Amino acid sequence: MKRVFLLSLLNLFAIAVCAQGARDFKITEVYIAQEGENNGFLDEFGKASSWIEIENTSYTTHNIRNCFLTTNEDVLKEMSAPDREKLMSIIPSGDERTNLKGKQRITFFADGNVNRSILHTNFMLKPTGKPVFIALYDGNAVDLLDSITIPADLKPGYSYAKIGDEWKTIPNDQITPNAPNSFFGNADKIKEWKEKDPHGLAMTVLSMGIVFGCLLLLFVFFHLFGWIINRMNRAAKYKAIMKLREQANKVVVIAKEGIETKGIPYENYVAAISLALHEYLGNMHDMESGIITIQRKDSEWGNKDHNLRHQESHFVPTN
Amino acid sequence: MLLESSTLSFIGEKFSDFLDYTGFANLMWENLIMILVGAFFIWLAIKKDFEPLLLIPIGLGIILGNIPFKSAGLEIGLYEDNSVLNFFYQGVKQGWYPPLIFLGIGAMTDFSALIANPKMMLVGAAAQFGIFGAYIIALALGFEPNQAAGIAIIGGADGPTAIFLSSKLSPNLMGAIAVCAYSYMALVPVIQPFIMRALTTKKEKLIKMEKSREVSQTERILFPIVGLLITTFIVPSGLPLLGMLFFGNLLKESTKTTRLAKTAGSALNDIVVMLLGLTVGCSTQASEFLTLDTIKIFALGAFAFIIATTSGVLFVKLFNVFLPEGKKINPLIGNAGVSAVPMAARISNQEGLKADHTNFLLMHAMGPNVAGVIGSAVAAGVLLGFLS
Repeated sequence: MKRVFLLSLLNLFAIAVCAQGARDFKITEVYIAQEGENNGFLDEFGKASSWIEIENTSYTTHNIRNCFLTTNEDVLKEMSAPDREKLMSIIPSGDERTNLKGKQRITFFADGNVNRSILHTNFMLKPTGKPVFIALYDGNAVDLLDSITIPADLKPGYSYAKIGDEWKTIPNDQITPNAPNSFFGNADKIKEWKEKDPHGLAMTVLSMGIVFGCLLLLFVFFHLFGWIINRMNRAAKYKAIMKLREQANKVVVIAKEGIETKGIPYENYVAAISLALHEYLGNMHDMESGIITIQRKDSEWGNKDHNLRHQESHFVPTN
Repeated sequence: MLLESSTLSFIGEKFSDFLDYTGFANLMWENLIMILVGAFFIWLAIKKDFEPLLLIPIGLGIILGNIPFKSAGLEIGLYEDNSVLNFFYQGVKQGWYPPLIFLGIGAMTDFSALIANPKMMLVGAAAQFGIFGAYIIALALGFEPNQAAGIAIIGGADGPTAIFLSSKLSPNLMGAIAVCAYSYMALVPVIQPFIMRALTTKKEKLIKMEKSREVSQTERILFPIVGLLITTFIVPSGLPLLGMLFFGNLLKESTKTTRLAKTAGSALNDIVVMLLGLTVGCSTQASEFLTLDTIKIFALGAFAFIIATTSGVLFVKLFNVFLPEGKKINPLIGNAGVSAVPMAARISNQEGLKADHTNFLLMHAMGPNVAGVIGSAVAAGVLLGFLS
């Protein structure tokens, strides 16, 4: 009984591992061809049509056979697996091309000609002026592996591709069926820069101009501000000097004419000032560092002999 | 017999499966090379003291990212959705880490040297020629404009900016760009001095710059606010980097948020540096990293650094033509226009001391050095604005 349980458990684990592998399949690029359009990506019969690219996003080999593709949104409704299968196009087994290495991509032609090869679906993708839903289901027809809705306003000649975590529209000359979608940034802008500034001189002149402009403005601002601050400092210094001079004049006058003690004996007057100064200066020691010294207590917990790391030698030579 | 033969064969089969999943069974020579590269980085950091705070996380990350395994949906690899490493990697991929590092840089940087001598801003701007020189060469080598921009930003000598821009414009090259940027930043003491010596005369090396004036607290508080307004009004695309840089600096200079500035400049910055270094290293998986493009990127990175240093030094020499005697700038601080703070400034100081042991250029060089941080962030914003 135990052995049966163990075997079942191991088999379940194996099935789970397979299912997890299927989760690595993701839809990465979709192209919806116009009627009679030749987009340059042809099937085995030299025909161009709409296509759906799927990537094995993992770094190990997985087989996409028996998975399902569909454009029918009804599959999202609650239904039995056999009923859902009827609404979808199966990716047949028996062809080595469905065995995808890590990061490898496969492209299916959505032309409704399922008899041509395993790379064709039983549904057609056409521009309808409405958003197009595409889903990829696992072989059990239950687990949704990935889905995407192509926006209704996708321009003719553009593919809809996943770049990083975002979906972007890519112009015809940059679409990459069966290859990584390596186009980033704004396709139109990049194309324009590439065409009109192939050597990068315009970019250099413009960008350096902007960088210089920014820092030049900062320079001007802080140069002027520094100048104003300097002037203000000078004015403050001048004021302080004038005040000092005024006080010095007063001292000279007192030295010449003596202090007006208003009837208080001169000695008492001087003693009161001295006492006030003494108290003021004597209180200065109250500014403490705030550091409290804790008496060290050695115990087994802090014994350095138990340390596993190299320590400085405690040996002190006596002579 | 305790176990039946079918059970034994089943165990054998499963053990064989297990062996298939080990690193030894999946090892490729490319993984081995990358593991050696990672070990070399760690050696450089520990033995040669080259940017250990960056090279140790990156080095270990390279090893971690190149441990071979057979993916079975176990969600352990960096590129596997929902894995822990993938979660950390989002900070790089989505560009969260670079602004957080800029927050820390802002909180740690004293812009006083620049405020006291604002003409150093122009030296910081001149060194950004390194970025656009590399952009021109990258285009000539056949890179797309967006990829060329991602590679060229290495010339700013600013790791977070390089990661930020490449994550937006050329994510497929980001691993190589980040490793290249940090490697060359670590090699600034090797690359810059010979260019500085070659481009300056003995007389120029001996120029003693006048002592900078004292900077008031009002100016220090005003700098991040005015800096933010001017730079982001002109280049709004640089907002994440510039905004966080000046925010961090305001936390520091306001003197009312010392705790926040301390956290941003120490604990938070350290956490982000660790995660960034580790995940950037991890992203250099052999299959993505060992390509001809990586070699080109490393060559372009070296050119970018050389152009940046050269343009900084030459700009100071040109500037001196217009400056009166006594106000002249020592061209040895021109190299500091790249934003490798404070290493580039330290090199200026060392080279100055070699020529005259009483000529301390460190504080003067800090001006263009911090201006370089602003300049490279503005350049990244400009490139992002033009190409995305």
